Amino acid sequence: MGDSNSPPESPKENPDHVSDSNQIAKDDGELENIVRKFQDTMSVSKRHKFWETQPVGQFKDKEDTSLPEGPIEPPTPLSEVKQEPYNLPSQYEWTTCDMDSEETCNEVYALLKNNYVEDDENMFRFNYSKEFLRWALRPPGFYRSWHIGVRAKASKKLVAFITGVPARIRVRDVVVKMAEINFLCVHKKLRSKRLAPVMIKEVTRRVHLENIWQAAYTAGVVLPTPITTCQYWHRSLNPKKLIDVGFSRLGARMTMSRTVKLYKLPDSPATPGFRKMELRDVPAVTRLLRNYLGQFVVAPDFDEDDVEHWLLPTEGVVDSFLVESPETHDITDFCSFYTLPSSILGNQTYSTLKAAYSYYNVATKTPLLQLMNDALIVAKQKDFDVFNALDVMENDSFLKELKFGPGDGQLHYYLYNYRVRQELKPSELGLVLL
Amino acid sequence: MADWQQLIQSIVIGLIFSYLLAKLISIVTSFKEENLTLTRSHTQDDQLLPESESGRETDGESVRPPAVGSGDLGGSHDVDSVIAEHGSVRNESVAGSDEFDDEDEDSDDDDWEGVESTELDEMFSAATAFVAAAAADRLSTKKVSNDVQLQLYGLYKIATEGPCSAPQPSAIKMTARAKWQAWQKLGAMPPEEAMQTYIDIVSALYPTWLAGASMKSRGGDTGGPSNDSRGPMGPVFSTFVYEEESANDFKMDAIHGFAREGEVDNLLKSIESGVPVNLKDSEGRTPLHWAVDRGHLNMSELLVSKNADINAQDNEGQTPLHYATMCEREAIAEYLVKQNADINVKDNDGNSPYDLCESNWPWMQHSKE
Repeated sequence: MGDSNSPPESPKENPDHVSDSNQIAKDDGELENIVRKFQDTMSVSKRHKFWETQPVGQFKDKEDTSLPEGPIEPPTPLSEVKQEPYNLPSQYEWTTCDMDSEETCNEVYALLKNNYVEDDENMFRFNYSKEFLRWALRPPGFYRSWHIGVRAKASKKLVAFITGVPARIRVRDVVVKMAEINFLCVHKKLRSKRLAPVMIKEVTRRVHLENIWQAAYTAGVVLPTPITTCQYWHRSLNPKKLIDVGFSRLGARMTMSRTVKLYKLPDSPATPGFRKMELRDVPAVTRLLRNYLGQFVVAPDFDEDDVEHWLLPTEGVVDSFLVESPETHDITDFCSFYTLPSSILGNQTYSTLKAAYSYYNVATKTPLLQLMNDALIVAKQKDFDVFNALDVMENDSFLKELKFGPGDGQLHYYLYNYRVRQELKPSELGLVLL
Repeated sequence: MADWQQLIQSIVIGLIFSYLLAKLISIVTSFKEENLTLTRSHTQDDQLLPESESGRETDGESVRPPAVGSGDLGGSHDVDSVIAEHGSVRNESVAGSDEFDDEDEDSDDDDWEGVESTELDEMFSAATAFVAAAAADRLSTKKVSNDVQLQLYGLYKIATEGPCSAPQPSAIKMTARAKWQAWQKLGAMPPEEAMQTYIDIVSALYPTWLAGASMKSRGGDTGGPSNDSRGPMGPVFSTFVYEEESANDFKMDAIHGFAREGEVDNLLKSIESGVPVNLKDSEGRTPLHWAVDRGHLNMSELLVSKNADINAQDNEGQTPLHYATMCEREAIAEYLVKQNADINVKDNDGNSPYDLCESNWPWMQHSKE
């Protein structure tokens, strides 16, 4: 049990104070005690037992500012990295998922579509498109061996998935080669098979085999120990649909017509020179972005290849716009968002919620507020229902004014085997994981 | 004669001796071979134990995780944590709830034969969680003997990893060796049998443990599905936080509420009791505004039949038809137009229903001309 969440033992249950004649009553009390603790354990500390064995910042060290920033464990010689995959329960086998293969990509897509993350009320489930998965999993220098699946031996059915992609992430003034871990998904029918920890260990092993010793990941739950905790914000673009499908609610005193009016946007962007990013813009956007991201404590270290991959518009995956000064033709501002639809579970009228997620935005000449309003306008033009953003970077400065409302989701950011001296403010984070 | 006897005797003894020697050699050799194979797979097997992460298991005595009583050392506590470690490798539901009846497009039930989680799996999983929780409680584990704890450990390993293929830990590592023996002696016991035996032992030790477990799962179903849907890793699906509007001076009557909720009977009673059908709320909205806003066609028809003012304007100058076009309520808008609602009346912003209409509704165009 983690020190911070082990329930304090209440003195009245201390058997030292109980006489022998009360032995039976005591046993009952103990049992109740156990049952209660069992429930506590189920809800809080169970997952930490795994993470407490891992080189991650531990809760108990949180206040200890004397611990040095940087790797928690030194790299081990590659020859000492376990060469064989971890053991799976006997009915399953490891598989490497080749995302270039249409068939495999379809299998991964279907697994995630039916089993990946849902909202608290199980009304929506992420539905990452195949194009998105290919984009997210094949950045420059990606390792195919990090796209890990688990199949049932008998049926060959894909039942679980986890991935890593390489990234250079800067923490203060140190650039660290890391793996971004994502898409951990276990089929709903196998949820009690205890696959997740072994999958995390297997992807860690394969990352180690490439001589990479750090990783970045996110979670909706608190694990040891977040480098920062962000809040999701949502901006309605199609309020009527959002209300109809239960993404947002209409207050009893509010009318739909006023809500629709409230979220109306102009037909076209306001900023002169606002246009879609093109291949020729890659060097300018890279300069703009590198310069801008430098101010954050943790941010990706993008080069031109990265920018071309991650930010050059890809239909239905990522959209990027920039402002080219009509006079000087300098690229002065940049904004981007990625496309992540979700399945709407059990609605007669609608099957898909189309969400845009704010990605990287840089404003040097245009006010950020106006730039982001233009981003909302083009997102509306592209028929998105909602525009989501985390309160990372400078986003906090425009969220309320552009009519974003707070979401019920918190996203915790983590680094594996890298200690950050103290928890960051969301505004100190310059990293968006998909 | 005596010489002969002596010779035969010594030959026989010699034969027996050499046979025994040969036997001994062969035993030693085969033992060595066995040991060699074990040694060869040592590096791999060392990491089969979930807690012995590469290079992290530095001393054999303390069992990872530090979860339980890492502070107080001592033989019996080691065994406590033997059990506690079970909990550490449990796979809590990953992202999403356990709906088994989900519309799997590829749900071919045969595929899941022997693969999907069975009731036994669920039960075993709950039992391991319970044991981990119980082990966390130092008081309770004291009455469970080390032997039983080791037995549970062995069954757990069989159930989750299968027969023991790890090398025997050195005799100095007593706890590790005891654990290894507990696992190893179960041989090739089928995992199902191990799970069932495990559950039986737990049930014998704590007859009511399941009550606690089912209590929990019931609580989980109703109280907090949030932990189920938020997996151990990855993104989060967030929806709007519902914010109750702060109380302002907005006032509406019961009839507006009935119209809003589509409660036809209650609305009829209100009208019969003398409430004016065109009663305005503090924003100037009539019941017809509310019925249109929420998309109740039958309610709108009823109100119109009760002589509701089809062109009533709210405080912003908007008529029910403005509402219908803003909210893209096509059937209602068509009905209102057919009931001669004015499509050209301007609201305070100077927009008519026609101006606000973004859809291509033919009857809207026709009546414009």
